[in-house]
Amino acid sequence: MSTTTLIDARDLSVGYEMADGGLRTVLDRVRFGLAPGVALGIVGESGSGKTTLGRALLGHLRDGGRFTGGTLTVAGIDVTDARSVARSGLRGRIAAMAPQNPLSSLTHHLAVGAQIEEILRLRAGLSRTAARDRAIALMAETGLPDPARLARRYPHQLSGGQRQRVIIAAALACDPALLVLDEPTSALDKSTEAQVLDLVAGIRAERGMGLVLISHDLNVVARVCDRVMVMRHGRLVEEGPVEAVYSAPQAQYTRDLLDSARPTRAAPVRPRGAGGPLLRAEALHFAYPEATLLGSRARKAAALSDIAFDLHRGETLGVIGESGSGKSTLAALVCGLRAPTAGRLLFDGAALGALAGRRSREQLRRIQIVFQDPLSSLNPRLRCGESVMHAMRHFLGAGSREARERSAGLFAQLGLEPDLFERYPRQLSGGQQQRVAIARAFAAEPDLLICDEVTSALDAAVQGQVLDLLASMQARSGCAILLITHDLGVLRRMAGRTLVLDKGRMAESGTTAEVFSSPRSTTAAALLAAAHQIERRSTTPIQTLETTA
Amino acid sequence: MTNETLLRLGRRPAAVTALTVVALHLGAAVFAPLLSPADPYAMIGFPLMPPDGTNLLGTDELGRDFLTRLLHGGRTALLVAFASGALAVGGGGLAGLAAARYGGWVDDAICRLVDMQLALPSILFVSLFVAGFGQSLPMLVLVVALLMSMGVVRTARAQGLGLMEQGFVKAAILRGETGFSIILREMLPNAAELLAVELALRSSSALLLVSALSFLSLGISAPTPDWGLMIRDGLTSMRTEPWLVAAPAAMISSLVIAINVATEGVAEALGLEAARGGA
Amino acid sequence: MLFGAILRRLLLSGLTMLLLSCFVFLATEVLPGDALDMTLTADELSAMPPEALEQKRRELGLDRPAVERLGIFLGDMARLDFGTTVITGAPVADIVWYPFRNSLALAGATLAIALPLALVLGIAAAVWRGRAADGAVSTAAIVGYSIPEFVIGTVLVMLFSVAWPIFPATVTANTRAPLSELLAAAPLAVATVVIGSVAYLTRILRAGMIETLASDAMERLRLAGIPKARIVLVHALPAAILPALTAAALYAAALVSGIVVVELLFAYPGIGQEMVRAVTMRETPVIQAIAILAAAVVVAANLAADLSMLALDPRRRG
Repeated sequence: MSTTTLIDARDLSVGYEMADGGLRTVLDRVRFGLAPGVALGIVGESGSGKTTLGRALLGHLRDGGRFTGGTLTVAGIDVTDARSVARSGLRGRIAAMAPQNPLSSLTHHLAVGAQIEEILRLRAGLSRTAARDRAIALMAETGLPDPARLARRYPHQLSGGQRQRVIIAAALACDPALLVLDEPTSALDKSTEAQVLDLVAGIRAERGMGLVLISHDLNVVARVCDRVMVMRHGRLVEEGPVEAVYSAPQAQYTRDLLDSARPTRAAPVRPRGAGGPLLRAEALHFAYPEATLLGSRARKAAALSDIAFDLHRGETLGVIGESGSGKSTLAALVCGLRAPTAGRLLFDGAALGALAGRRSREQLRRIQIVFQDPLSSLNPRLRCGESVMHAMRHFLGAGSREARERSAGLFAQLGLEPDLFERYPRQLSGGQQQRVAIARAFAAEPDLLICDEVTSALDAAVQGQVLDLLASMQARSGCAILLITHDLGVLRRMAGRTLVLDKGRMAESGTTAEVFSSPRSTTAAALLAAAHQIERRSTTPIQTLETTA
Repeated sequence: MTNETLLRLGRRPAAVTALTVVALHLGAAVFAPLLSPADPYAMIGFPLMPPDGTNLLGTDELGRDFLTRLLHGGRTALLVAFASGALAVGGGGLAGLAAARYGGWVDDAICRLVDMQLALPSILFVSLFVAGFGQSLPMLVLVVALLMSMGVVRTARAQGLGLMEQGFVKAAILRGETGFSIILREMLPNAAELLAVELALRSSSALLLVSALSFLSLGISAPTPDWGLMIRDGLTSMRTEPWLVAAPAAMISSLVIAINVATEGVAEALGLEAARGGA
Repeated sequence: MLFGAILRRLLLSGLTMLLLSCFVFLATEVLPGDALDMTLTADELSAMPPEALEQKRRELGLDRPAVERLGIFLGDMARLDFGTTVITGAPVADIVWYPFRNSLALAGATLAIALPLALVLGIAAAVWRGRAADGAVSTAAIVGYSIPEFVIGTVLVMLFSVAWPIFPATVTANTRAPLSELLAAAPLAVATVVIGSVAYLTRILRAGMIETLASDAMERLRLAGIPKARIVLVHALPAAILPALTAAALYAAALVSGIVVVELLFAYPGIGQEMVRAVTMRETPVIQAIAILAAAVVVAANLAADLSMLALDPRRRG
């Protein structure tokens, strides 16, 4: 069964049956090949079909999925034919997959060691004792500490990084020729991510295994893979060696992806205006409540502790950190959705009420927020224009006609066609919905706009556009922006000054340029290192970020 | 309901058949006085006569035309069931959304009340009130509504909690809108479809409960024609005139089965998780 | 951590019982007119001189303020002192004990049969989802829980007692008969409740199983080539049993209601008969006793389900 190619896909098409009987195309005539021992990265956003392709390599599709055209051969086996897949024992033995979400991918009532042993016994035919020993050996190979003891633990007792290693160990159990990894690090923090990726690269080199790594993150692919494949809406956009694609992308979409991961323009540091800061945080502390015997009290582990910063008129302060760092909690505190358990906020010199209910109308008007998920930001029962007009009437007391005119003006400023005014949110694209949400925020003429991961849910092609519009609205109105993000590219593009959060504490602060050219904290260093992978594999000279005046 | 929902519904023959059956039942109940050959309370023949020319289904144990009583049998029960259902959904829906909106002690108290009430078996619950307050239709409606509202509160609260996480509700809170206006303007319109499904489900539960109560002589009282009562009364003559029991049994069963199947079908077509049939 | 969790649930159950007892009291005693008005007929009321009425009221303790009466009531309930009947003065405990035992037996027998059946049917329907087996089971389930219990019971009687005289239509055993004899004399009653319970539980189990089978963990196993049977039995089934227990516990309240109706239909000597008699005759102490006992059973069932969740789910043990 030895072949020269490991994977051979020719015009592969996959469709899913819809509830109303139609067929939705998920993969559209995908054509590529992979030699044995090579690492391929599949890059794309959600909806690109990359996960479906990963599963298809194992001949498995989710319920309702069908191979609708073309061929796909893995290690010489036709995976579109269920019988040949079963006969050859492909799954788990010749090709294996380490799926997303390690916590939900492991059976929670079985010990992790047992779950690896299961595959060894059933797929490799090992005896019980042999399987146990081999499982421990695999766990050691994937870098798990004290494997014999860890094997008896349950999945929820392990850390995220450890669970990921268990999943990889289970996939490696039968020495597959092909390993498919689906978003192996999206739930991990940057330093753990680096460790896991290095581990994968090492294992791959040792075993001479073929590797397919699925990710939305170009940096992750850069770290591990020889070749890269870009997918969009089920189609193959571009494919080739990593250096070639990253240095000289052929397709506009690939360029968009690279741009949003690696900005070429830095945000200006605005000189601080006269007068005190617009927003001042003093010793902010917040812990989520937890249920106790009779009521609730604050948890011991704080989501935020000892946060202090100043934000001046007209400036953009970025807040960056990984998930769990507390940055969204900070946004909630500033806008008044949650009350700090200690510390206080001062807005324009005056104390800011803890919750929205305790703030004056003026304070509510002057602080606005745009959320991450555009669709849920707008009331599905109201037309888009109505959402914006309502805010204007409510905060500025504008009459109907005035509100309509000015709202239409805002739409125009944000590049939204006039006929979208009367449409409902579900009829708009994600990028358009987000712009309506931004319009609604600016309808109140705020002095401070909180942007909570406002581009994270948008297509790469649209992210840049939304950020540019945001910057122009800011320039026009002179408002300050508190920019919450996990993405270094977005941060560098928009924020002159930065606050780095790690597990609820301030790890570092300063101008963005300083923090991310010579970081002092490990958090900032890890963020910077992770984001530089593209640089490493690209032959275009590293451009020093030009600062605008 | 949008066009696409109607299309999806059309693809489910079971749901469509069920909806037709429900419509037929409703039609029969509403137009019973027009369709019936006789007055449901009038004793027009000898008791327990077999079907013949004048009485198409014979007479019952008091000599009343059975067909007429059968057609009228659903009226009161359906009235009580829908009234209870509507009250339950209205009151329970608002309470559930309020629990989600206000959180804190309001939520705790409402949850406590619901859990507590769910521990009392429904028949016992109603018996308590009947023992205390006597047996009357308005009281029956109120008590059954109270019972049914508990399940609605749970569902509405779950929906409300989900809505509270949505950006537009948070935006309304940050506009300083009052608690109540948020419930009315932002939450209720977006829970409407779910509540409509709840209305159907609770009404069918109420119908079952009222029939059972009538069977136990704790619900609707004679001489009002009611299927539950008819089954109770027909038991003694079951061996000789089985249709006196079989016909009303078939009526209740077909109606409730139809409501449940139709509701599931509609809920699926709307894309809602089919409710798991409450106690 | 674990001890605290158990303690919390125990306290909450206690609180629920307390609130329920208050509610039972409120529903039956704090109302226009009092127990005396309800138990004595209009003739008797007009025949008795006012002082005698007042005397009777004092005897029954009806002249004390409501809050005080509530307190006395709660104290009595805590000591399981159900008092005496209004009309005959007989101890309520004697009246309700055997019927209560009989109803519990019926419920127990039902669950012992229905739960395993529902598990098998629900799993089969989920595993062969969309195919003939699933269609049959799901349809039967909807029909089974839509049809009221008294209709199911009646149909069973018509089929197996009238048409083919195999089983007795009513229960002839004595209230105080040993449980084995009692249950053996009530096959149709048991069958009726079983049918309703199986229908309800099967739907819930099927839905839970479908959800579990679609989970990421099961997907990973399929991708690893683990055989389907093993996935269902070793991985999915244990995960589905826990929600099954909760569903059964939540069903307890409905089960009690259903049993009441069936008992009346088959003349089974359980609390159903006692309850209807008590309601018709406005025997408040008896109704209160039955209500409290039934509620206690439901609260206990929920507590048991909660605690077994704690014991069986490694995630909750922390």
